[in-house]
Amino acid sequence: MSFIDLLMLGFGEAMTLQNLSFCLLGALLGTLIGVLPGIGPTATIAVLLPITFFLPPLAGIIMLAGIYYGAQYGGTTTAVLVNLPGEASSVVTTLDGYQMAQQGRAGAALAVAALGSFFAGTVATFAIAVAGPTLSSFALSFGPAEYVSLMVFGLLAATILASGTVLKAIGMILIGLLLGMVGTDQSTGQDRLTFGAIELFDGIDFIVIAIGLFGFSEIIANLERSGSEGVTLAPISRLWPTRDDFRRSWAAVLRGTGVGTFLGLLPGGGATLASFSAYSFEKKMSKRPQDFGTGVVEGVAAPEAANNAAAQSSFIPLLTLGIPSNNMMAMMLSAFMIHGITPGPTVLANQPEIFWGLVASMWIGNALLVIINLPMIGLWVKLLTVPYRLLYPAILLFCCIGVYSMNNRIFDVMLAAGFGLVGYVFRKAKCEPGPLLLGFVLGPLLESNLRRTLLIEQGDPSIFVERPISLTMLIATVVLLGLMIFPAFRKSRQEAFQEEEG
Amino acid sequence: MAGPSAPDKGDKPDLLTAAIFVGLGALGLFMGWGLDPGSLAQMGPGFLPRVVCLLLIAVGLGVGIPALRRPAQAIEAVRLRPVLVITLAIVVFAYAATHLSFVLASLWLIVAGSLADPGGRWTHTLLLAVGLTVFGALVFVYGLGVQVPLWPV
Repeated sequence: MSFIDLLMLGFGEAMTLQNLSFCLLGALLGTLIGVLPGIGPTATIAVLLPITFFLPPLAGIIMLAGIYYGAQYGGTTTAVLVNLPGEASSVVTTLDGYQMAQQGRAGAALAVAALGSFFAGTVATFAIAVAGPTLSSFALSFGPAEYVSLMVFGLLAATILASGTVLKAIGMILIGLLLGMVGTDQSTGQDRLTFGAIELFDGIDFIVIAIGLFGFSEIIANLERSGSEGVTLAPISRLWPTRDDFRRSWAAVLRGTGVGTFLGLLPGGGATLASFSAYSFEKKMSKRPQDFGTGVVEGVAAPEAANNAAAQSSFIPLLTLGIPSNNMMAMMLSAFMIHGITPGPTVLANQPEIFWGLVASMWIGNALLVIINLPMIGLWVKLLTVPYRLLYPAILLFCCIGVYSMNNRIFDVMLAAGFGLVGYVFRKAKCEPGPLLLGFVLGPLLESNLRRTLLIEQGDPSIFVERPISLTMLIATVVLLGLMIFPAFRKSRQEAFQEEEG
Repeated sequence: MAGPSAPDKGDKPDLLTAAIFVGLGALGLFMGWGLDPGSLAQMGPGFLPRVVCLLLIAVGLGVGIPALRRPAQAIEAVRLRPVLVITLAIVVFAYAATHLSFVLASLWLIVAGSLADPGGRWTHTLLLAVGLTVFGALVFVYGLGVQVPLWPV
């Protein structure tokens, strides 16, 4: 089938009433949680994962994807209007966006952000459509040795590109790997690390960990941070940007899209990293870098385009290689797994309607988001006045029902509550739980591929350096590790994340 | 955890991290002691757990030892109320949903969970509890078919 045929197949799938409504639902939910501070896309998707079990595979995945990129739009609204980033990825947008709002140009900032995001989303969708088939046919030639090296590279790169201390992130990955080993051993059938609990023989459910670490412990952490101050809204003026705004922002949008699409591809990359990098890149490119932070439209256009592009292009490694590059994608991977679909090159060959339907739905979702966001901004902003006190019991209930509904077992809910406490301790120790999820989903894959490789090679590990693709991955891993030792690189990495952590 | 009188040295969050890593690594080693490690060519179930645990202990030491010499940094204050209230609310919910019914479990969860953040009005909490329970019953029990008794028998 030709490219156009496949795209038409995708649109045919995505345009069914059911899929269209789940796309809309995802986009709406994404915007909602993007606007509300204190609830992030990771927690939301963790809460909704069990629900997708009751939906057809494509509809569920479309909805979850919509939440992820929808949140990037929603986060902008609050960043611009109230100087309160709804998502980590819109932190940089506050710098210039809020200044613009103070000057009475909030409407222009929001419109540029929305149109820029839509453009970026369109480009990234095409990038997936083009890169998908190419990469996945490449991936079909991968043997177990290549997969092992790829996963090792992916896991390490993810810790370096993500924020936080690298050693801690590596430790979290190791804990994730260890948790992934709990249960019956795949090849010998022996139970491992189960404390003798029969409930653990099937391993720990991803949803239990995700809801515990992200749902429950986030609620507890938010409740600890009391005192949400009153919100003052900047008035929304004329919505349409001026001709001058357009002239100044189109190049920024293009650059932001490029930076975002590329960074989204990398392990550990994703919307947050992309928006920060795009902003500093734009500042370097600008003839008047000193104006940044005083309300220049490029400072809104570039990071907003970048975060949306990255949110979408981070699907590429998952859909083509079956390797999630950040914790959001780890969630998506488990959403596929719930339906017995293992993402990777075979999906594209055997179930093209899933891949192309998702790609088409992303474009439709982006178009819907522009409609949802621009005319309805007033409504979303009103939501900011809903106090967290009324919000968290609802989240708590959805989390509990979600975990319980998987197997109707008390044990699962108790375990999730336990992971909630563990997550709380992690927060106190300033460890980010994201890498743990990545280790957990990749653990079993890594182990089975490693065992298979060494079984075929009769225990000789030299295969890893004999295969060219595997060797490249390993060299890249070593280089990355080496870079971490160099102080200069470490410093610039710290600078890149400084604003985020502050 | 961290005492209120912090000495001059020691990055407490990092030391806690090291304790978690080393502790989990040791626990994993202990649990996996009886598992057969096998050989490289024929890995047994115990091989990778052991490798991962040893790495985890190494990383824990790598985080912890430099932290001893860094200037003191305290762990954020712990407020027990949200931790205890939320955890208890969840655990009781699990038992109540199985043995009592969804409606009772949900009402309990929201009313008890609301106690984690004192200062709200009782009327609001009750309205919220009833509203969310009805919503949950419609969406999850009727709509999605979660297997749980709706009313107490």
